[in-house]
Order: sequence, then structure tokens, then C-alpha cells
Amino acid sequence: MKTWQCLSCGFIYDEALGLPQEGIAPGTRWEDVPTDWKCPDCGTGKADFEMVEL
Amino acid sequence: MHRSNRIADFDDPSFDPFATFESATQSGSGEDPYARLAEMRRQKSVFELDYRELLGSPPDLTMQGLPKYMVLGAADIQQVLETPQLFSNTIFERNVGLCFGRSLTVMDAPEHTRYRRLFQKAFMPSVVSKWGDTLVDPVVHGLIEGFKGKGRADLVREFTQYYPFQIIYRQLELPQADIAVFHKLAVGLTCIVVDVAHGVEASQKLGAYYALLLDERRNGGGSDLVSTLAQAEIEGERLPDEVLVSFLRQLINAAGDTTYRATSSLLAGLLSNPDQLDAVRRDRALIPAAIEEALRWEPPVTVCPRLTLQPVVLDDVQIPAGAEIDAMTGAYNRDPARYDKPDRFDIGRKPLRHMGFAYGAHVCIGQHLARVEMTRALNALFDHLPNLRLDPDYEPPQVTGVNMRVPAAVHVRFDA
Repeated sequence: MKTWQCLSCGFIYDEALGLPQEGIAPGTRWEDVPTDWKCPDCGTGKADFEMVEL
Repeated sequence: MHRSNRIADFDDPSFDPFATFESATQSGSGEDPYARLAEMRRQKSVFELDYRELLGSPPDLTMQGLPKYMVLGAADIQQVLETPQLFSNTIFERNVGLCFGRSLTVMDAPEHTRYRRLFQKAFMPSVVSKWGDTLVDPVVHGLIEGFKGKGRADLVREFTQYYPFQIIYRQLELPQADIAVFHKLAVGLTCIVVDVAHGVEASQKLGAYYALLLDERRNGGGSDLVSTLAQAEIEGERLPDEVLVSFLRQLINAAGDTTYRATSSLLAGLLSNPDQLDAVRRDRALIPAAIEEALRWEPPVTVCPRLTLQPVVLDDVQIPAGAEIDAMTGAYNRDPARYDKPDRFDIGRKPLRHMGFAYGAHVCIGQHLARVEMTRALNALFDHLPNLRLDPDYEPPQVTGVNMRVPAAVHVRFDA
């Protein structure tokens, strides 16, 4: 399980936690998050996230 | 007190920016704006009116002459904030642009995107989490030491009103002798909406001071925020001085004032609900939920203005280009279609996005630091003040204000 961070606002997507409030189940891998998904805080697209170690 | 000759006070040193700024945020009638806005939202989403006039706060002198629309519906608020090509931040050139300068707030993409990423690097979660130990804890523990032996305190006037600002002084490594005038000028900037002359004077004097700090620190290799930002680079690009100074000018308002308000409202919410207070005190893992609920229930800033760049239709209302659109993010957080019993402070809610830090490309750049500060502040209060509770000799705290909200006092008792 990995974590991905939005370069524009710092929002972190944690694959282990998913985003149940946005309909993304815990355990959903980054590559399985829909391509048109946007950062829930700032609206940036998936392409502007990078993997980070926490 | 030794006065610095490096920073210039207002020409009229008796000008009180603190009182002037507070008057600009309050309602003359004392009416609860949320009750009025909830009633109106039941009718429709978009109204052609000035929310300040509706809710009894002074007019914004810098917005005179613009057609004004208030947006209350959650879907429309979201659309306004996620469509910057139609709803532009350049509206802030009229007020923030005059006092802070070319800060991120006045910019749209692509300029905003480029600079935002440079600044955001200094405020990523991994960076600000380290400041908890080095910057935040010494400030919050030091302040509480000042009153923990008394058994009672006003947590606003003795704690929240100071701690975020003292953290900023430490971030900037300001010389002690410069701080009093620095803070006065920084608050003076925000008076621009009701007192343009003093806002502009503060902007010039604080700008000169920051230019001096930049000169001193640009190549010094220091780790303070001024040095860090002066040396920040993405793909070989550094921040222009004008953009950097404008960002720093905005810090006291954007990072200090908001955190003072949010922490005060968090304390008001918890202390007014003793069962929830006890739950958090016993299980500190609940602190993040308490902070998010406080930011939903009483966000420090309740309105995000934008400027229409072309004619648009929102909720069947025709809106011309060049209109002020006020997205009522505080009302979004109280929408009963999103939150059950939205006026109730309830840390047990199912997590759901709120707009306590706004939303979209201009979402608060310091939100991760704000959470660290509020977490450390609450932990320190619990650690030092056993049996913390409201003081029955005073009225319970009441959060007030129109576009910026805070309780005037939070009187507490504790076991000394």
C-alpha cells in the first residue's frame, strides 16, 4: 500500500484508507482510482500527484 | 521597551488597527447569520444582493460599484470555486492587491499554479509536522505557564489570541524589538476594506521591512521561513521579490488571524458540550475529528468572493461579467442536505468534506500547519489544565461575526 500527495495542496491519498466518503473503498490502488478523479481539496487531476513515503 | 529603528509605525501612532479590523467583520445587529441564510436557502440558491448589507456588516469600500450576487446552494458554491476560468480570484486585486500586493490570492492559473507549488513546498504535511515540536509546543506551553496557576482564565484573551502569531514570529525569526510594530502593521493591512489610507500605509511600511529582512537573509543559508522561501526553487525558477514579499505580508492575516479564530471556536464547541469534551480528553485520538467538526461548524472565514469574467447563468439567474460572486462557504458547511442537524457541534459525524479551508485551487495553503497548531494547542491545554470546564460565573461563549467569526471570550476554570 502506497501514499500519493497532491503537489498543489498537499492532500494525501492513502491506498490503505481509500476515500470512502468519495466512493473509493479502502485498499483501492492508485492506478485503480478513476482517471478523471480530482483532488477533493483543490481539484487538481491525478497527473499532478506524486508518490510519497510517510 | 526598546523600540526598533528598522520598522516604521503608522504616522499616527494612536491609530488602533485591531479595533478597526474587528469592526469590519462584525454584524451591527448581532443577528445569527446562519439562521437568516438557512431560511433564504430554502427559497433558492442565488440572490442578487450584497451579503454584508443583508447581514448588517459595513460595506466593503473596495467593492463599490460592482453588481453583487450571493450563492448559498452547495452545488453552486462548489461550481463557483472549481471553475476559476469563469469565477476569478482577480476580484482580490481591489482589496488584497492594494494591501498585500501580488500575493497568490489575487492570481488565476497559470501564474497561480506555478507560484502556488513553490510556496506549497514549504507547507507540505511532512514539513509542518516537524514544526510541532520546534515552533508550536514552546509557544503553547509557554503561554499556558502564564495562567495555569490561577485556576481560571479567558482562553481567548490569554491564549488563542496570541499563540498563532507568536508561532509566526518564530517562523520568521523576527527580532524581539520589531514585533509590536510588526503586528500592528500586519493587522493594519486588513483594515483596507473600511480604511483604505491606513491599509496602504501599512502595506508600504511592512513591505519595506520585509525587503530589509530579504536583503539580510537571502544568501545567509538560514532555516527561517524568509530564508527558506527566498531560496525555494522549482525547475530553476525562484520566487520574484514582489511575489515573495506579498506572500509574507499576508501571513499574519492568513495564518495568524484564522488560526486564532478557528482554535477559539473549537474550544467554544468542545467546552459547551461537556460529554464531547470528556470523550476527547480521555481519547486524544479523537482530536482530529474534533478539529474537522469545529472547522465545519464554525469556519473562521465564511465567504469566498470571486469575479465573473464573462456572463454566466447560475441557478437560472443571469449574471453579467464583472460581478462580485460571494460563495458562502460557511453556509455550505451548514447545509442540511449535507449534514444532519448542521447547527449542532458533533464530533461523531461521519467524515464528509467541509469548506472550512475553502475549496478549489485557492484552498488554504497553510491548512496542514493549522491542524498541527490546533492539535498541539488542545493537547497542551488538556495536559496542563486538569478538569478544564466553562466558568459558570460568565455567559457561555458565543461565536459571532459575519465574514470572519470568533467568540469574544471563552472563560474557563480548571484545577490549579
